Amino acid sequence: MMDSMIIGKYVPGTSLVHRLDPRTKLITIFLFVCIVFLANNVQTYALLGLFTIGVVSLTRVPFSFLMKGLKPIIWIVLFTFLLHILMTHEGPIIFQIGFFKVYEGGLVQGIFISLRFVYLILITTLLTLTTTPIEITDGMEQLLNPLKKLKLPVHELALMMSISLRFIPTLMEETDKIMKAQMARGVDFTSGPVKERVKAIVPLLVPLFVSAFKRAEELAVAMEARGYQGGEGRTKYRKLVWTGKDTSVIVSLIVLAALLFFLRA
Amino acid sequence: MLKLIDMMHIAIFTALMAVLGFMPPLFLSFTPVPITLQTLGVMLAGSILRPKSAFLSQLVFLLLVAFGAPLLPGGRGGFGVFFGPSAGFLIAYPLASWLISLAANRLRKVTVLRLFFTHIVFGIIFIYLLGIPVQAFIMHIDLSQAAFMSLAYVPGDLIKAAVSAFLAIKITQALSLSDTMFTKGG
Repeated sequence: MMDSMIIGKYVPGTSLVHRLDPRTKLITIFLFVCIVFLANNVQTYALLGLFTIGVVSLTRVPFSFLMKGLKPIIWIVLFTFLLHILMTHEGPIIFQIGFFKVYEGGLVQGIFISLRFVYLILITTLLTLTTTPIEITDGMEQLLNPLKKLKLPVHELALMMSISLRFIPTLMEETDKIMKAQMARGVDFTSGPVKERVKAIVPLLVPLFVSAFKRAEELAVAMEARGYQGGEGRTKYRKLVWTGKDTSVIVSLIVLAALLFFLRA
Repeated sequence: MLKLIDMMHIAIFTALMAVLGFMPPLFLSFTPVPITLQTLGVMLAGSILRPKSAFLSQLVFLLLVAFGAPLLPGGRGGFGVFFGPSAGFLIAYPLASWLISLAANRLRKVTVLRLFFTHIVFGIIFIYLLGIPVQAFIMHIDLSQAAFMSLAYVPGDLIKAAVSAFLAIKITQALSLSDTMFTKGG
């Protein structure tokens, strides 16, 4: 059950998108998520579609990886689509089967909202496909640095993010191990009535949590022993470099936003 | 400022949240919010960690999700989920576990039954109060329709509230040798 999950799902590569500064990618996603809501007619959705396809082809990530990212949300998209078709009663009726009527407004809105979901998921999936988790947390720490003035523990948050990312696979392995150990003792995790399966959670989670907390304590001791003392005066092994490419990406996003603004109904 | 040991507890708990999310969820055919073990983590964070740590563990988790880690059930992640149907439910996580932790610390004697009710109030009702309106708004549907869809989760959530109350006590007992995290107040 755990093997099919790839954390971060990073696909190594040397494409333009891979080489961008993680900050640029984070800003891009942030802006994209905002401007996606500007679209409200055919032209604007087509423009956003072109942009998304453009970025996807620039990353040279195999299509199958993207599909993996889309798969879990396909049915959410379909559900929203159906809901809109059934619930929105605007414009002329396109076709009718018995008491089941499809209105033009519902169809159009259903398509638009589904497209918006697909664009959002594609662009955000690309971040994890082209950026390592460490790069992401580094970029985030840098971007949020100004918030340090507001007493927000930016460095600490970034550190906690990296540590939990690092330990997810370890804890997964641990879960697998405990599962096997308990199965050897006769616990059945996969079949039986709901009541039994709920009961089976206890001998799985109690050891998992206990060992995880022990790990946390060991980590803290190890870090203290090595003289960790927070973000103040800390130097970095990986330095982020902002180049002309990054600036042009941000500029093109602003152009896209402006175009959307003029084209929208 | 945060102590190192608290930071590590938070980080590890965040990782546990993710692991819980990878355990197979229960999918229902008629509503877009899947039933998962992940909300078990929200309740457990509240009843195991201190209020501040509980809040932060959920916040770090949401930050990881926002920055694209596919940690939500079904491998969802990315900034987009905060604009999806579950947005309100997600944003309620840190607040819910903070409230659970505060309430659990107020309990004079911690029993499974009392924790269970705490979980119902803050881990279910409170999360729904935030989640349902946001879901209705994002999907452009009526509040009553969204509320109706959430009804399907109530049985699953009640089971989770009970299981996590039981688990929290078991885990706290197993860890009771440790003095740093299960304290009153803070």
